[in-house]
Amino acid sequence: MMLIPCPFCGHRNESEFTYGGPVKPDRPDPNATSDEDWVEYLTTVPNPFGPVQERWWHARGCGTWLTIWRDTRTHDIVEGPSDAE
Amino acid sequence: MSYDAAFERLPINACFDLKGTESALVEWIGAEVLPDFPAEANCCRKADGVSLEHVGPRHWLLQADIDREDDLNGALRPHEAPAEVSIVRISDTMTTFRITGTDAAHVLAIGCPLDLHEAAFPEDAVSFTEFFGQTALARHCVGGFDVSVEQSFGDMMEDYLKRALR
Repeated sequence: MMLIPCPFCGHRNESEFTYGGPVKPDRPDPNATSDEDWVEYLTTVPNPFGPVQERWWHARGCGTWLTIWRDTRTHDIVEGPSDAE
Repeated sequence: MSYDAAFERLPINACFDLKGTESALVEWIGAEVLPDFPAEANCCRKADGVSLEHVGPRHWLLQADIDREDDLNGALRPHEAPAEVSIVRISDTMTTFRITGTDAAHVLAIGCPLDLHEAAFPEDAVSFTEFFGQTALARHCVGGFDVSVEQSFGDMMEDYLKRALR
């Protein structure tokens, strides 16, 4: 179980949240990047052995979208949200 | 194990979903209609039989007895509201269960992950959470808790609560 820090509600159980996927790098200009880099951007999902930046939606709570850094080895949230919407 | 608790299904309340900044809502509705806006997250303010609950960023629920619905609707004028605010009458979209008794918190905890300790969920607290897997609005009442779920899940929740209290 993870307790995810919501900027509005405080720490809440992960079951109140919906996973929004990892934060992807900025979209490159398809006319100015190589085919390999474009395919890499389109198809490769960040999946590091360690901290990964992720989006979560407090769907069964206040409705806030937030970004956290989660360590995939321990599920520790190593950095809380700073960009809550 | 049986719990020292009971539940009842409450009649519907007048309920309005308010979205927008506090200043925009006060400008449209008028301060005399609303209780003071709760500054803290997930808490409510009550005045003159009307409860204003801060349930999300720029998101409030206004609740009162159902016999005041028409008066409030006239004061809030949902269909004429400016673009800066959103006002929606949602009175008949939620079903509320009142769980009371010395074990009310234990019963709620079966299906709800909220920390219900007084320090984390005090008397004026109100929050969206989940209850038996469904989105629910939880708040204190005298001697227990009120839990509101989407109306279509009402019968299912009643069944869950009956089983929990066996």
